[in-house]
Amino acid sequence: MFNKKIFSFFAVFFLCFLFTGANDLYARDGAALFTQNKCNACHQVEGPATDKTIEDLLRRNGPELWYAGSKFRPGFLGKWLADPQPIRPMEYYSLTEPNKNDHPRLPSEEAKAVAAYLMTLTSGDVGGAGIVARKNIKGKKVFAKEFSCYGCHQMRSRGHIMGGLSGPSLAGARERLNPEWVYAYMVRPKVFKPVKDMPVYSGLVNDKKMRNLSEYVSNLD
Amino acid sequence: MRSILYIFLFSSILLTSVPAADAAGVKEIYRFYCAQCHGLEGKGDGINNREEMPVTPRDHTSAGEMGKLTDEDIISVIKEGGAATSKSTLMPPFMKTLTDDEIIGLKDYLRELCKC
Repeated sequence: MFNKKIFSFFAVFFLCFLFTGANDLYARDGAALFTQNKCNACHQVEGPATDKTIEDLLRRNGPELWYAGSKFRPGFLGKWLADPQPIRPMEYYSLTEPNKNDHPRLPSEEAKAVAAYLMTLTSGDVGGAGIVARKNIKGKKVFAKEFSCYGCHQMRSRGHIMGGLSGPSLAGARERLNPEWVYAYMVRPKVFKPVKDMPVYSGLVNDKKMRNLSEYVSNLD
Repeated sequence: MRSILYIFLFSSILLTSVPAADAAGVKEIYRFYCAQCHGLEGKGDGINNREEMPVTPRDHTSAGEMGKLTDEDIISVIKEGGAATSKSTLMPPFMKTLTDDEIIGLKDYLRELCKC
């Protein structure tokens, strides 16, 4: 009986060690692959945000990833890196060039390793607000009526993709975005993007509406 | 003596007042924020002008349309969005994004575009 208990304890301990150790190794491999593939030529992986002017932002070719672990849902990046599909209808911050859908595609195992690394990059400004993705009717009202967010962001409506092209698409946000990050981005946008072409709503919209909006957005399919 | 004092005071105010956003800067701001809907040349043909939208973005080069608006109307719409003037909420509020000087600069730029 006693031996069984000791055995179970060590078995659980060993499995935990194996899992966290393997994940850590995976992330280290991912970091090496990230550098090797020159991903940092387009993506910033060290915070904080540094852009001060519109020119600074327009020099970028891809989104900052220094808070990727806070922004994305677990599992999303691994799948996306193995089979990248455009998130923005246009090239990064372009108003003239449609997205060429030419992001490098990684073999499945490499994609998982790079994703594991990116998910270690987190921001202390995200989390703890109790935001969950859900069908939030009040949030829908803010999104569709009060601020017409679809004017710049595509979304799926009755099976069809509709909406403006300048911002990242929100179709599939449920699989992609961490609800806590959506909220943090709305209330503290300058932490993540000091310069961006989306207006600042923080200070204009009360916290209750921000919460409802974040829950609605992060539930879009 | 008094007129010299007035000239001195007026000059001081001019020299110390915050300069309005410069023309090149304002054009950059327009092309970054406004052109998404209103187009790079302001003709209302930005990439967000889609068939499914309930309204079309205003053509800033139209003297007929823009001439109906006072400077205060323009500033108010940029600051508070379309809802402030009973227009579409597709026009977002920029009061927390742009400074007052930048908004005044944009108003002047729109007047240049419409020549009105």
